[in-house]
Amino acid sequence: MNDQNNNVLEFKDVWKIYRMGDEKINALAGINLNIKNGSFTSIMGPSGSGKSTLLHVGGILDMPTKGTLLMNGKDTSTLSGKEQATFRRNKIGFVFQRFNLMPQLSALENVLLPMIKPDLEKAKELLDKMGLEGKHNKRPSQLSGGEQQRVSIARALINNPSLILADEPTGELDTKNAEVIMGILQDLNKNEGVTIIIVTHNPLAAEFTDEIIEMRDGNII
Amino acid sequence: MEFLSRRKIGINSLSFKNLRRRKLRSILTMLGVVIGVTALVVLVGLTTGMTNYMKESTTNMMGDVMIMNSTGGGNIMSQPGSSFLSPEAVNELKNMSQLYNIKEEVQFFTEFNGTSIYIVGTKDRSQIEINGTPGVVISPVIEAMGYQIGNKITIEDQEFTITGTFSEGAMGMGVLVLDSDKALPLNDNKPTSLTANTRGDPEVIKEEVENTVDGITVSTKSDMSKQIDDMMSGLTLFIGGIASIALMVGVISIINIMLVNVTERTREIGVLKAIGFTSREVLGSILLEAALIGFIGGVVGLIIAAILLQIAIMLFGSQIGDIQLVQMLPVWLIAGVLGGATALSVLAGLYPAWRASRLNVVEALRNE
Repeated sequence: MNDQNNNVLEFKDVWKIYRMGDEKINALAGINLNIKNGSFTSIMGPSGSGKSTLLHVGGILDMPTKGTLLMNGKDTSTLSGKEQATFRRNKIGFVFQRFNLMPQLSALENVLLPMIKPDLEKAKELLDKMGLEGKHNKRPSQLSGGEQQRVSIARALINNPSLILADEPTGELDTKNAEVIMGILQDLNKNEGVTIIIVTHNPLAAEFTDEIIEMRDGNII
Repeated sequence: MEFLSRRKIGINSLSFKNLRRRKLRSILTMLGVVIGVTALVVLVGLTTGMTNYMKESTTNMMGDVMIMNSTGGGNIMSQPGSSFLSPEAVNELKNMSQLYNIKEEVQFFTEFNGTSIYIVGTKDRSQIEINGTPGVVISPVIEAMGYQIGNKITIEDQEFTITGTFSEGAMGMGVLVLDSDKALPLNDNKPTSLTANTRGDPEVIKEEVENTVDGITVSTKSDMSKQIDDMMSGLTLFIGGIASIALMVGVISIINIMLVNVTERTREIGVLKAIGFTSREVLGSILLEAALIGFIGGVVGLIIAAILLQIAIMLFGSQIGDIQLVQMLPVWLIAGVLGGATALSVLAGLYPAWRASRLNVVEALRNE
């Protein structure tokens, strides 16, 4: 029981089945996986191995076809659409490969966007912590890729989530910027206890994490 | 920064920013609404102004009451030149002590040079007076038959000398206007209507006159106003309906543009949902964007319409009497047009917003 409470995410025989024409594709084929509170995990595997789907299901962006996902011990299939949104807003922070910042908003406005009651000081603090002093009012198009990804990490952190999900966070960055981003994530994990899961192709990025999970054809190997 | 600290940076501020993001597109979409609203307000405004003008001029021209043959419909909308008061009724009316300052008016059609022309006999001096003396005035159609000022013209075997011409078209009809004293004998002394002042309350005298003389209808000034309102409200509705088509076209272009916007922003909508916005919040932000297009377009259209109407007043005001912009732009028109343009735009945004709110997050995020 105690062990269960220590899991942020529990995948219990989770299947995700897509139909492509007449063919059935098992993006996830009966996944059993526990993500412990405070862990730093990377998921690796070739394209189409189901690693992004695993991340989407784990982040309640997608629902499993079969099986159960528990988040902090709660069965996510019982959540309404609105409750799912509230969960994503407060408990989960997403970091995307292509940053996905709103182009019409400044860095600061992007960070404030997920907050219901905007806390300007906190957003500024987070941006400064990401090394973006003096760039609060720049638009994403005025920032480098590494800077944009740091803004998006600040956006992911603004509501103090217990879990950060990052889909190829270094995929669009050069080695130097990739190391900076992974360093930031590592620091968040070690010093602030944030649980982090990344999906990556990049072995250098995976080296920053504590545990590496390999996937193939919807299974963990 | 000031803006940020005072305002909530929520999804709704995205709607404003999204409008500014594609300025040309937003402006062109608004232009559709602007044109519709301008057309609607100018046309309805002119009709409203015309109604007020007609009421004023009709009630100024007549005395306290106007008396017509009751079988001819007995109102200003009845077919002109088809219904007359009998000489007996006229005699009876002229002998009534309650009525004074009786003036006869007559309008009828007659054969002239193988065509039908309209003869108007009036006591309204402003229509027939040239240099202070009443005369005979013809419309351009008769002028085109070769008649000029100073020429003789023969109507119903009577010869008249033309003293004036209309400056404007008389709707392409052959019209001849002269003093009703001269026109009445041409119509067997049967007038179309009498106008008179009353000794006492016109409403009371109306009853007395109608009870005394058979086959007549008496209209007071308020009856006439009401008739004009009835007649013009139909016209206002018709013209408003036509102008509304322009507004509808503008609103339909909002549906189109919002669909393009939503498709273009598929990934952004996916991101919004991923970071915790509900489908309803996404729906609301798209609807707000559509509403803003309608409202801003409506305000701009109203301003342009007011300017155009003011120009019309300055150009033609002297001809149609003392008319003010406020008579053409009543509050119901302003409120109705702004509310209507906004509400229609929200309706136009419904389908695109619904589509955006239903987007599958994972697929939206994958969108290039």
